[in-house]
Amino acid sequence: MTEHASDPVRETARLWAIRVNDPAFADWDALTGWLDADPGHLDAYEAALDDDAWAAELFATPPSPTEYAPAPAPAARQRRWMFTGAAAAAVLTALIAWPVLQRDLPEQVIVTAMGERRTIMLPDGSRVVMNGDTRIVLDEDAPRRIELVSGEALFDVRHDARRPFVVQAGDTRLVDAGTVFNVVEDEGALDVAVSEGAVIYEARSREIRLDAGQGLSRAGADAEPRLRRAAPESVGSWQAGQLLYDDASLDQVARDLGRNLGSPVRATPSAQAMRFSGTLTISGSPEQVLERAGPLLGVRFTRQEDVWVMAPSGEAGH
Amino acid sequence: MNRETQSNGLQRVILNERARLLRFLAARGAGDEAEDVLHDLWQRVATLPAQPISDPVSYLFRAAENLMRDRRRSHVSRERRQQDWHDVSVAGDDPPDGERVLIARQRLREAEAVLVSLGPRVDQVFRRYRLDGESQSAIARDLGMSLSSVEKDLQKAYRALAELRARMDAE
Repeated sequence: MTEHASDPVRETARLWAIRVNDPAFADWDALTGWLDADPGHLDAYEAALDDDAWAAELFATPPSPTEYAPAPAPAARQRRWMFTGAAAAAVLTALIAWPVLQRDLPEQVIVTAMGERRTIMLPDGSRVVMNGDTRIVLDEDAPRRIELVSGEALFDVRHDARRPFVVQAGDTRLVDAGTVFNVVEDEGALDVAVSEGAVIYEARSREIRLDAGQGLSRAGADAEPRLRRAAPESVGSWQAGQLLYDDASLDQVARDLGRNLGSPVRATPSAQAMRFSGTLTISGSPEQVLERAGPLLGVRFTRQEDVWVMAPSGEAGH
Repeated sequence: MNRETQSNGLQRVILNERARLLRFLAARGAGDEAEDVLHDLWQRVATLPAQPISDPVSYLFRAAENLMRDRRRSHVSRERRQQDWHDVSVAGDDPPDGERVLIARQRLREAEAVLVSLGPRVDQVFRRYRLDGESQSAIARDLGMSLSSVEKDLQKAYRALAELRARMDAE
């Protein structure tokens, strides 16, 4: 990157990138006109998008070294800046060898509260975006294996055919084959959706390959897995403030809302039997989100202490 | 609304807006392949699950924008893979993964310092927009700012981060 960051075309391009990245942007013809006006505009626009992607990746790095960083890392890093040449190489070797030497490290449990999101960057460059109310276990001795104890996470995996990346959910293994995929685990109930690459589902000596655009749901630990379609752009859409459904039970919707809003949402038995296809926007306060969602879902939300109760809109509240 | 009528609905909008979409795709970097990308868009629209869409035209432009971003990303990562292979077979001194995370963490601290230096409001606007994914209008409403001030703050943040990036790349 040799051009000056304050070049006027780059400034304008940056503004376009900021506008277009807002979900409410609608002035596509003006964007077309600006791009058409000069062949240099497209390059500047791509550069602005690239800067945005760079910033996003940078801010996805866990800031605290307690978060799955090899514990001796800060000291090693300081030393690295002082040494050069062979000494630096020796320190690098120490860094590589480190995971092998520390065999008896405890597993690390990372938990998000309801409504909290957290991105975990793994040493191999893979990324785990945890939704609210989610618990995962990392084992530094096995950095390509993650246990999803409960909740929802989006996995963006650096594929390595020699070292497959495995997500363990109960007795089910999900093995990546080059992949972005989303997993929800809820007391044995499982939902997997693949947006890029493929995932192998392994449970009870059964293997099912899920390619991009496919998903699988299982109602409980012993239930039969059911294949479904998963529009790639809907996978992990909660990250962008949306929940997309295709014939989902409201029980499922209630759990998703709870995870995303930060306060539990419970469907009454009659609401649990209802189904929903469509999109819910989950930005704003829980009150705003539920107020918008109610008419779409055909339900009413009433607050009972710290729980939102979801009941069919025709039914009297409790 | 069942799936078929919904898809047909969006496909009808593609037919109606074909010229605008093609012009956008061509300007957006598809060039001569604009027709191919539009065809790709057409096919993707056919596999969408039924969902209410408030502004189908803008939705399709957004989808077209995303397709162009995907194309570029796969192009860049293909080039990077070739470059990686070249580096490994020639020099073999790509920093190991562990060190890459350390470098990223150091850079993150620098980027955070840059944002803080721009003042608490710019810092807050950038974080809410980029990290929490809030819309610009929501941020403007919440902080009692105009939409264009939010834009300007974001522009300031991105400019400073781009300068930081250029410095880091030069190191």
